[in-house]
Formats: sequence, C-alpha cells, structure tokens
Amino acid sequence: MQVKLLTVLLAALLVLVTPHRSLGSEKASVPHDLKESAQNNSSLIHSHQKEAISLFTSDFKKKVSGVEYHQHDNPIQKGDVGNADDIALRLLHLRNGSLQNVRNTFESVPVDDEANTTFVGEQNPGSHVDSSQLNKTAGIKNDSGIKNDSDNSDRPTENHKDTSTKGFTFEGNPDHEKMSICNVSHPGKTERVDMEFTSSIVDNEYIITFNGYYKSQARKRFISSALQEAGLTSWKIMPRINPAHTYPSDFDVVQFHGQSDKAGVEALKDHPLVKRVTPHKKVTRSLKFTKVDENDEPEVDEDFDIKHGGSFNSRNAGRKSLSTPAMWLSPSKYKSRKLLRAVPKQIVSALQAEMLWGLGYTGAGVKVAIFDTGLATDHPHFKRGRLKDRTNWTNEKTLDDGLGHGTFVAGVIASHKECLGFAPDADIYVFRVFTNNQVSYTSWFLDAFNYAILKKIDVLNLSIGGPDFMDHPFVDKVWELTANKVIMVSAIGNDGPLYGTLNNPADQLDVIGVGGINFEHQIARFSSRGMTTWELPAGYGRVKPDIVTYGSAVRGSALKSSCRSLSGTSVASPVVAGAVTLLISAVLDKKHMINPASMKQALMSTARRLPDVNMFEQGYGRLDLALALRTLKNYTPQASASPSYIDLLESPYMWPYCTQPIYYGGMPVIVNVTLLNGMGVTGKIVDKPKWEPYTPEFGSFIEVSFSYSADLWPWSGYLAISITASKDAAAWDGIAKGQVTLTIESPPEDEETEPRRSTIMLPIRAKIIQTPPRSKRILWDQYHNLRYPPGYFPRDNLRMKNDPLDWNGDHIHTNFKDMYQQLREKGYYVEVLGSPYTCFDASQYGTLLVVDPEEEYFSEEIVKLKRDIDNGLSLIVFADWYNVSVMKKVKFYDENTRQWWMPDTGGANVPALNELLAPLEMAFSDVVYEGDFKIGEHDMYYASGTSIAKFPEEGLLLTESLKNQGFEVIKANTWTVTNVPILGIHQVGTGPNSGRVALYGDSNCLDSSHMQKDCFWMLSALLEYTAHNSMPAGLPGFKKMTLPPVTEMPTRMEGNHLHRYSKVIDGSLGATHHHPLPQCPSLIWAKPYPINKSAPSDIYQPQRLLSIDIDSPLNSANHPDVGFPAARDPALLDLQPHLSGPILGQDRFTWFPVLAFLGTSLVALFLFNQYYRTKSRPKRKQRARPRKLTQTPYSGKMPGV
Amino acid sequence: MLYPRVLRKRWVLAVIFICSLLYFLSATLSKSSDYILTEYESKRTLRQPFQWQPTEDSNDTDVIKCRNSRQGRWLIVDHKGYVCKREHVGINNCCNPKQSSTKHFSCDTCLSNGCCSVYEHCVSCCLQPKNQNLVSKILKENQEAPHNLFIREVENLFDLCLAKCRTSSQSVQHENSYRDASVKYCYGDRPPDLQVITG
Repeated sequence: MQVKLLTVLLAALLVLVTPHRSLGSEKASVPHDLKESAQNNSSLIHSHQKEAISLFTSDFKKKVSGVEYHQHDNPIQKGDVGNADDIALRLLHLRNGSLQNVRNTFESVPVDDEANTTFVGEQNPGSHVDSSQLNKTAGIKNDSGIKNDSDNSDRPTENHKDTSTKGFTFEGNPDHEKMSICNVSHPGKTERVDMEFTSSIVDNEYIITFNGYYKSQARKRFISSALQEAGLTSWKIMPRINPAHTYPSDFDVVQFHGQSDKAGVEALKDHPLVKRVTPHKKVTRSLKFTKVDENDEPEVDEDFDIKHGGSFNSRNAGRKSLSTPAMWLSPSKYKSRKLLRAVPKQIVSALQAEMLWGLGYTGAGVKVAIFDTGLATDHPHFKRGRLKDRTNWTNEKTLDDGLGHGTFVAGVIASHKECLGFAPDADIYVFRVFTNNQVSYTSWFLDAFNYAILKKIDVLNLSIGGPDFMDHPFVDKVWELTANKVIMVSAIGNDGPLYGTLNNPADQLDVIGVGGINFEHQIARFSSRGMTTWELPAGYGRVKPDIVTYGSAVRGSALKSSCRSLSGTSVASPVVAGAVTLLISAVLDKKHMINPASMKQALMSTARRLPDVNMFEQGYGRLDLALALRTLKNYTPQASASPSYIDLLESPYMWPYCTQPIYYGGMPVIVNVTLLNGMGVTGKIVDKPKWEPYTPEFGSFIEVSFSYSADLWPWSGYLAISITASKDAAAWDGIAKGQVTLTIESPPEDEETEPRRSTIMLPIRAKIIQTPPRSKRILWDQYHNLRYPPGYFPRDNLRMKNDPLDWNGDHIHTNFKDMYQQLREKGYYVEVLGSPYTCFDASQYGTLLVVDPEEEYFSEEIVKLKRDIDNGLSLIVFADWYNVSVMKKVKFYDENTRQWWMPDTGGANVPALNELLAPLEMAFSDVVYEGDFKIGEHDMYYASGTSIAKFPEEGLLLTESLKNQGFEVIKANTWTVTNVPILGIHQVGTGPNSGRVALYGDSNCLDSSHMQKDCFWMLSALLEYTAHNSMPAGLPGFKKMTLPPVTEMPTRMEGNHLHRYSKVIDGSLGATHHHPLPQCPSLIWAKPYPINKSAPSDIYQPQRLLSIDIDSPLNSANHPDVGFPAARDPALLDLQPHLSGPILGQDRFTWFPVLAFLGTSLVALFLFNQYYRTKSRPKRKQRARPRKLTQTPYSGKMPGV
Repeated sequence: MLYPRVLRKRWVLAVIFICSLLYFLSATLSKSSDYILTEYESKRTLRQPFQWQPTEDSNDTDVIKCRNSRQGRWLIVDHKGYVCKREHVGINNCCNPKQSSTKHFSCDTCLSNGCCSVYEHCVSCCLQPKNQNLVSKILKENQEAPHNLFIREVENLFDLCLAKCRTSSQSVQHENSYRDASVKYCYGDRPPDLQVITG
C-alpha cells in the first residue's frame, strides 16, 4: 500500500514538475529561483523601502539603538549566505535600501545651510529578511559573474572607515556666476548636499550575537542565565519596537548600568550560544549645503561590468551589454529626490504610447529583432505566438536568458502585462548573441546579422556596444544590414560622464544611437557622450548620440515574471526600438518609404531639445513619439543635414564651438555634418556644396572649405565644413552669416524615371574676433596621440587595471575637455594641430602643448621644432610612464580577438619623445614613479609617470620623493626613491627671442579619465612662464641641479607593433623605417556666391523636414473618423493594451493544464479514498512513518525570518 | 464516476505512473540541442522544394518583376545573374541587359578558391549553372554550423547565393580582422585564404 501511495505521489509530482516545453530551465530549479530573486531584488527593495521609510521617520531623532553603517565599498562582496555572521555585514547590504530612505525622510525636513541633524536608525529587524536575502542573491550574482564595479578602491579619499562623504546634487543655481556658460557643459556650478557619516561607540551598550535564531523570550533566558552566573543584575535588553520583533532573531542589544561592563561582556562571551559581543555604535549623519563644481565630483563608474579584481581582461575592450544594475546599488546616481516621485509606473506612459494604441497601432506586422542574452518561450509577459523565432549564436547550448538582460530588453519592446512594452503585437525575433558570462564575438554577430537580413527584419535592437569601431568585419556588416533596410537602434554606452566614450555601433552614421536621460529630463550620468573619435587626428568628430530617452530606473520584465528596474543606455535603446516598431506599424501603408534614414530623420527632427545641455550629450534631444508619428505620416523622401544649422554662437547647445570665436590665421573650425538620405540607399552630392555668404551680414568675412563623402551609402554620408575668418577680417570684430546649399541625388525607385533630388540649406553664423596675440595662442598636438582602437595603447594610470586601454581620443574636446575649459577661462585660445609639426606657422603661437604622445616623429619635425623654439615658440610636454619590463607585464590575453595583447608603447612613447627633445639636451627616463606629494598649497598625485633623466644645467628642476611603481609592478615590492626630478623649466638659448621649455613626467592630472587630482593650476602657471617669461607662481622649490649622466637611454621594445598603427613609421617590409613626410593638408576655400539678403530670424534653430504639415489630423487605423486625440487625455493614458484584445485569453490554451488537472484529481481521488478507508479501519501500523518523514526537516534549527 | 477501488489496482497505478513517466521523459529528452526550436522546425517540411532556376513566365523581360540584391553601393545583381550599375536598374527591378556595362554570370573579381572582391560578382558567379554542383554540396553539408544556418531558410538559388556570399564567421581571423580583406565574399565551401595582418 505504501509503495502504491508513493508511486502515485511520485507520478503526480512528475506531472506537475514537468514544464511545458523546455526542461533545461528546471534542471536546477532552486538556483533559478534564487537567480530570479536576484533579478527581482530591486522590487524587493522597493517594498522594503516603504517599511523602512516609516520606521525611519517614526524613529527620527529618537535614539533606540544604533546601526553601524559601513562605507559602501562593494555591495556584493562575498555573500555570506547561511548564518547571519555579522550584523555589520548584513547592514552593509541594508544600507543600499535604507540610505535612500533616509534621504526621502530628509526631503520633508527643511534643509538649512549647515543644518546638522543627527539621526539614529533603528536596528531594523525587518531588514533581516531583506539583508539576508540580499546576501543570498549577492552570492548568486557573484556566481553568474555580475559584479557591481563601483571602483571605490581607486579613490582612497572615499574609503575612510568611519567618516565618509557622499554627495548628491540638486539642480543648478541659475544665477550663480559663470564665466561663460558655454564653457560648462553641465548647467554650471551646482549645489550639493554633503552627507557625512560618523560613527561612535555607545557607552555601556553591546550587541550580543547568538549562534542561531531564537525567539526573544529564549534570548532573554540565555542572557539572564549568563549574567546571573557573573552576579550582575543591573542590565536591560533594549526593546525593539518594530513589526519584526515577534520573529526569531540572532542578536540583542544589552545595556549595562553602572561599572559592570567588563564582567558582563566576559560572562556573555563565555555563554555557549553567544557567538560574539560587540560594542554598539551610533551613526551620525550631518548635512551640509556646499556649492561645488559638479565636475569635481568623483566619478562613480557604474558599469555593468564583468571585471574581476586584478586580472586584465579584454572584455572591457570588447562589446558589453550596456546596462547598469538596478539603481539601488548606486544611490549616488540619484541627482535629486524629486526624481523618484516622478518615475512613472509604465515607461510607455512616459512617451504616450497609449495614444498610438488607442488609434489601433500596437506593432502588428513589424518584425523586431532583439540581439541580446536570449529569452524564454514561456515568459508570461509576451503574447503567445508573437515570439516568432529564437536562435542561438553563442557557444552555450541554450536559447533561454540566464541573465535577465535580454528578457528586460524584450519586455520594454513587446511586453503586454505588468510592465508594458511599446509594441505588444510585433513579431519578435530573439537572437542570443551574448552568453550568460557576457561574452560575445564578432563572428557570432556576423552570422546572426546574416540571418537577420535573410529574415527581412524591420527593426533591430542592439543594447550592446564596445569601443572598437575599427572592427571592420563588424562595421561593414552593420552597413550591410542597414543597406538591407534594417533599422538599427543601439545604445551609445555607459561610460559617461567622461567625453569621448561613445560605443560602436551606436556611433555609426546609419545607426540610431540612443543616450539615456532620467525622468527629470537630465542626461543620465552614465550616458556616454562626446564626439566620435573616428575622424581624429586630422578631422573632427560627428555629433552623437542621435537622440536620448529614458534610461534610468526604467521598469521592465524580470527574468521569470514580474518587473524590475534597470538603468543604462541599454534600457534607453529598446525604448527607442519599441517606439520605432510602434511607429512603423502605424505607417504600414507607407512602408516603402520607411528606411533607416527616414526613421532617423523623423525621430531627430521631432525630438525635444533639453535646455542647458550641449549637442554632444543630447544629440537632437528627447524622443517625442507623438510628433514623430505625425511627421512619418506626412513624410516624403528627402535628404537632411544633422546638425541642421551651424550657429557657432549658440550656447550651450553648440558646445564647444561657442567657447572660442574664430579669427584669421587660426586653425579652421571643423563642423562634421551628417547627411541623411531618405531617398535611397545610395546617393551623391550633385556638383559641389555651394557657399553663399550674406553680403549685408559680413558673410564675406567667413571662408569655408568642404570635404564630403563621394557616395552617400548606406543612407548617409558626411559633409565636413572647415570654417575660418578671411584675411580681410584680421582686424575685425563681429558676427558674420551665410549659408551652404547642396543637392543630393538618388537613383529613381519604383515607377519613377527621373532621379530623386533633394536640396539642403545649411545656415552658418560665426563670431569673428581680431587675431589674438601670439602669447595667448596655444597649439594642442593631436597628430602624435595614438589610441585604441586599433592598437593596444595602455592607460596612463597603471592602477586602472579594469580599464587598460587609452580609448577616449586624447582630444581637447574629449577626455581633455576639462583642461580645455580651464585654459579658455584663463583667456588662452587653444587650437588643434592634426598634422605634423612641419605644417604650422610657429610665429603665430606662444606655446605648443604636447601631452601624452604615443606617435613617433619625422626627422623633419625634430629639426623644425628646434628651429621654432630658437625663434620663440615655447614647448610644454606632459609625458607619461614608459618601461619595457612593465609593458611586458601588462600584456593580456584578449578574449575578443583571441590573441595576446602587448602594449605598443608605454603610457607615452618616451624613446620617440627623447629623440624630439635630444637637440634641447633633455630626456625622460624609463623608471615608473607613483606617489602623493604637495607642491606649494596644492595636493598632487603622480599616477604612473616618468622622471626627467637629462636636463640642461641652467634649467630649474623640481624633485619629489616617489614610489618606484615599476619595481612594484614587477617585483610586488615598494621602494621609495627620493629626489626624483619630475618638473623642469628652462629658457632655451641666451637671447630673449628664444622660447622656453617645460617638462613634466605625468599627464594623468590633465586627463579627465580616471583623474584623481588635477593640475590645471600648474599648467596655467607653466603657461605663464612659457608665454610671458614670468617665473611660475605657486611653484616653489625649483633649483638648479646636475643630474647624474645617463648610461642607458630608454629603448623601444623589441618586436612592438607600433608601425601597424603609426602614421610615421612603416615596418611592413621587415625593418622599421620612416614614411616619407606627408604633404601638409591645404584647404581649398570654396568659391563664394554672395547673396544680397539678411538671414531670417528663425533660421538658426532646428530645421523641420520639408513639406511636412505637422498640424494635419491623424486618422486611426481602425476608425478613420476618429480624430487625433489630445495627448494629455487622462483616459487615454490609462488605457492598457490588454483591454483591446479579448482574444488574448484563448492564446494560451494548451493540453498541458488538462493533463496536470487530470493527474492531480486522480491523486486527490485516491487520497480521499485512502482517507476514507483509514478512518473506517484506524489501526494501521505504518501510519507513523510518513509523518516522521515530514517532520525531519523541521527538527533542526528554525529557519531565519 | 470511477469506482474508487479501481484506483487501488496495481495496473491502474502502473498506467498512471507510466504515462506520467513517459511524459516526463519525453519533455526532458525532446529538448534537442538544435539552434532552432522544434516548434519552428516544422517550417522546413512545409517548405517549397528548392528552386534551382528562377521561374520564367515569358521572355519579355519588361513584364517580369526581378528580385535584386538592393544593398549595393554601386552595383546591383538581379536574380537572373545580371550585374549592373545602380542607375541601370529598370523599373521592374531588373538589370538592363542592353547596357554595355551589364554582365551576365560575371566572375570578374573571383579567384579559383570561390572568393571574390565584389559581393555582386560573387552572387552572379554563384548563380552560374556550372557552379551548381558546388552549391548543391553546400546545401547538403554541415547544416548545423551557425554560418550555414541560413540554408534551412532559403527557398531558391538566388536567396542561397545572396546569403552564401555574405561575410560570415568564416571570413575573420582574430575576430576583428578579415582573413583576406580584399577578397572576402565566397560562394564556395572554402573560407578566404588567410593573409597576414599588416595593420
């Protein structure tokens, strides 16, 4: 009988356990649940927040017991899952949630200047549940390789154990004095609240941690028995007033009266069930309003990164999914509390997608491809039958998502339950190209993209990106894809707020690159920005991202069911992809006109610009779905330019153009305009672009030169316009205007016989000033900066192990932007040299600024520079570390390219630099130094730099005591060296006409990427010296000294591949030799066709697409009579997509539930029968056994709450 | 209504158990390691037989609508194997065979290993009747490999050639470089010849 019973039970169990389709996911059902909770933990936090808020507010200023808050180093360190080992450890996790609550609390409290508030948090047993679960999930997260890399280890200042400062900013104060608004990309200086945490030990109070979880009565018994033995009577257990006090816990807080502490602690420690006794601590937080420059804030790198500790890993260089973990991991990201209240429950409501749904458009008939980590077939958020195809291109044999990234992205596009997506009726094609370990290869993408072309995909979302825009097979394939009319939407990257951090493929002309904003319509901190770096050194970058949309704390589908919040541009990308899918379904009747260019034109021309943000951060602005729909409905094929006007004055949108006026003799300003051609996949510019200066508005004072794509393919091309002031304007101040017109032609399509043509008019406005004096003009050497891609040029700071590559372009408008702004504020004019030293007129410039050069030098350049310096040009060099042994040490195996990567130079190319400096009798060493020191008033940090090895005896040197970092890297030992010469200044020659030279051994203090302490003050002091020959102020300690003779100069590494990437040397024929000196670029100024008119007043603003009547009414797909409903109709906003489809219920019908039901009912019947029989015959001897079976699991410890 | 005693019979229980077990096992084991799920595989059996020749309804080229490669920067290849300049594509989407630059079954830039420098030449060459043996071999071989997944989806020779000539995982070395940057479009069964990266 027992056997039978068990058999049936087993059978029933099997039926129930067996999943509908795939069993793979069930093979490890428990870990999956945990994973799910890992994905869900944000929502978990939300629920916990509410609880904590009430607790915190009620206990505000009322001391009950303390909480030890630790500085949040890494929220998911070793997750101690089982026993609650340490309260502090668990509270570490609790902090993530509660810190935000604290701020919530504070919002209702008036914050005064210097308001000093003490709050004491209740040791919140409710948090036990959460924190232990967080621990659990943290452990799992570590297993799956996700790690929040908050990078705090690199900022020692933030790591004080007991005192820590976290700032969060409020909106900028508009009347704060600003030198030039255009020079500041963020809305100027901002105010922020500094929170300071201090903890102190509470006298006479101790936390008693037990070995297990016990009810409060039991705990009291233990403590009293322990203390009775010691003979203590005057003590009490601190009461806990919170909902969780009824549950078992593993600690108590005991307060002793009188002088009985020590004895009591000893007695308690001896008790067998007590694990440890720790003093009780109180956390005090003070608030301070400080005015700060936002740029000074430490950067928190919140990448969804997979890096592990010390090992170099190339995945950084490769593509990665562009999302950050849920917001709770990074409280500092919230800029303002208002934000949380504004977060809409549905991302679709934020963009008014309900309006399109109301018109009957839900994405039907559009094929959308999701390139990500896969998706499960049985996810409840997706309509049955809409998931058309799933393919796996990775080396993992599964189609399901193990990470949650792909599910989230798919949910934002097409979910129809809980957290809604934009296009629930679109056909979903899931491409699994990213493994659970976040690995992907170009070759996987190539095959997957081919399949997407074959499947005639309409919209493709790629929430993945990487810095390698020189991965030609990949870039070519993306071109091929868009050429086949696949609209590609991609995330711009999560490497902000640093400039020069755009990711490929989002930075391509033919791809819609999406940046992220928060619900307050501010650019999200993580969103990558800055110009593209493809065009460097000779050209200038294009504007990217194209548009921005919500990417911060967006709710989407979690791995199994329910919702979670996620941040990152990989969230913003599917928002746009979903919106595009929805838009296409609304204009299916004009589908032949829908292509990557026309869609991009429609989205960009209707986007709403964010105030106080420049175009290299926001592109055209915030996506406006409703306006884009109207535009598309009325679209006629045409070409357009982006940006659609060139106003070099507009501030701050046209940053950096607005920061510096143009003048005669300066290097031309280049505006790299993107041409979008919605008429056809190919096109060309007819004749030449035409320059038409406005005669009454001094247009003739501007000279322009064009360089442009020979063919516009696919759907796009570039038009680079170089703008400078003419010779006639050398002594003129004013504003000059003109326009550029060009005609683009595409082959006829469909039934047409004539080629398609479209004319673009591009207005230009520029401010011209008189040529500034020579001493005020600085030339930035861009030509000798090399970067990744293509070569491995290592970081300038050896401590930055998880970002080993120098990939931000090293341009004054990318990672040297802050330096540029400082120079501009000091009144210097900075120009960029994108050609060899032989190509500039040195008599025009005061100082040549060479920072962190990796390139070799032509011998002609060396000769010319010496001559220029003799004739009065000054030179400032910021070098960087170089050591062959260290270079060999920092090689790594790159998983993306499956080969070893050896750096081609050090941080800078010191051997080449020494050749350049040889005529000046100066040289750098190949010893790598690091250390903190002070120059005058200023704290300095030398992050992996070199030292001066040779310097003329008349020169002045500054020495410091530094650590030999090279020794540390190789031998793992510290060795401090005194009197290391790091800064040298020297007046060349004897005559007053000769220039001056300043050398410094480290460039990290000018470079905004991973900068710890800036030295802009030192640069301006050095410029004072080089430009005006005044001894640098604030730079004491210079002395004349004789350096020991150099026995061995730094040498180039044997077998380096610099020649592959160099413009100067060539090694393809065996031994390396120099290329012949290239011709200097000579611009041919376009012939002006003056027109006698003044510019219309509204010309310098975003241009609309041609022949589009935005105001025409929209008709519903289903009900042609219904007009265009008001966008703010509240009834519409509440409309849920499931209301529109009664068919839905039947979709999910399958035979499986029937079988399960039958099986269960059979078992129930059997059990009923059994029960009936036992009742009639009560004596059955084996009755006890099953009960025993069920009891065993509970005989152990009581589980935690 | 079931008589409860029936349930106690050993065979009834056995039947229930075996049924459940069978379902359990089938659900466990049927999860094939294929790249495409079983529910999508049915398409293959429903598929039209592979079309080796484009269906020609009449000889009047003006009437027939052509399918063409549509992606090219300068060149277009149509389903009949004509390669022409973009501007010589007629309103029926066919290449105009009367233009002097238009070529039929052109292997102009193709090497003996079946790889070409120009994508459109590769497609045109692939459509050549003399290459049918090679193509049919590709159709049969190694369908499981990711770079050949398209084979299940193509219905005619033109689609096959369009897909086969594209660069794929077989075209790259070190992931981010072509095996042969100048000759990378292959209709044959061999990858492009490996070239040394010079940078």
